Amino acid sequence: MSSRRSSRSRNIQSDSSETRITDDQISDLISKLQHLIPELHRRRSDKVSASKVLRETCNYIRSLHKEVGDLSERLALLLGSGEADSDQAAIIRSLLMY
Amino acid sequence: MTLARDTAMKNPTNSLKRRFSLKFLKTLVRIRKSRPPPSPSASSSWEIRWRAQKIKLAAYSSMALSVGSKRTWSRALTMKLRATMGNRRWSSWKGSKKMTKRRIVAKKNMEKRHLEKDMNSGLQQLRQLVPGGESMDPRSLLEETAHFVRCLETQVRVMRSIVEGFPC
Repeated sequence: MSSRRSSRSRNIQSDSSETRITDDQISDLISKLQHLIPELHRRRSDKVSASKVLRETCNYIRSLHKEVGDLSERLALLLGSGEADSDQAAIIRSLLMY
Repeated sequence: MTLARDTAMKNPTNSLKRRFSLKFLKTLVRIRKSRPPPSPSASSSWEIRWRAQKIKLAAYSSMALSVGSKRTWSRALTMKLRATMGNRRWSSWKGSKKMTKRRIVAKKNMEKRHLEKDMNSGLQQLRQLVPGGESMDPRSLLEETAHFVRCLETQVRVMRSIVEGFPC
């Protein structure tokens, strides 16, 4: 294993292949998450605490799930109505957009 | 090592978006065909809800299959969905892998540190939300979360495009 900065506690009873998680790595990952979350991106400050990032991430995931549910309902409505042919045409058109 | 790991575990790409769109659209066509013969009156609300549920499941399974087996969350989600297919109810995310000693140790190491003490409840909540999160060590959990969030965003964007693509 390459050497890297690790922080204080060393009394780890792990496999030799177990990678040590450093505080830096955690901060790195937390800040990456922070940039993903629109709520936190807007603030533009670095002073968001890790626990706030996690909380907002959870909220964001929940809101995404809700949006998937809402869009599924809208799709269900759209698929259920109208002519058979026009539905297929619309779907194929969407496909061709990519 | 972080750099190599980052490039190895890429964020969702355009090809993922295409794969997902294709799978999802194909399933949508199948779902549409599976409806009862069209009637003059509008569909009952029950039928709409039933179809909505199928569409929602199709969205998540298409995304998980498009990501494939290279992510813990996609593997966990695929297994979860296979178990619930045919079951109408949408149950909450729960990890399926056992907490091996190694993972318990990794978790404990995180909990010792002062920085992570504030994060523990946040991490715990995240474990419930990210498929397979229960058995991940904290670093993997954070990495998987980032990827999971971006895939969810892609999924939402594609679904929104499809909805907006329908002629009124």
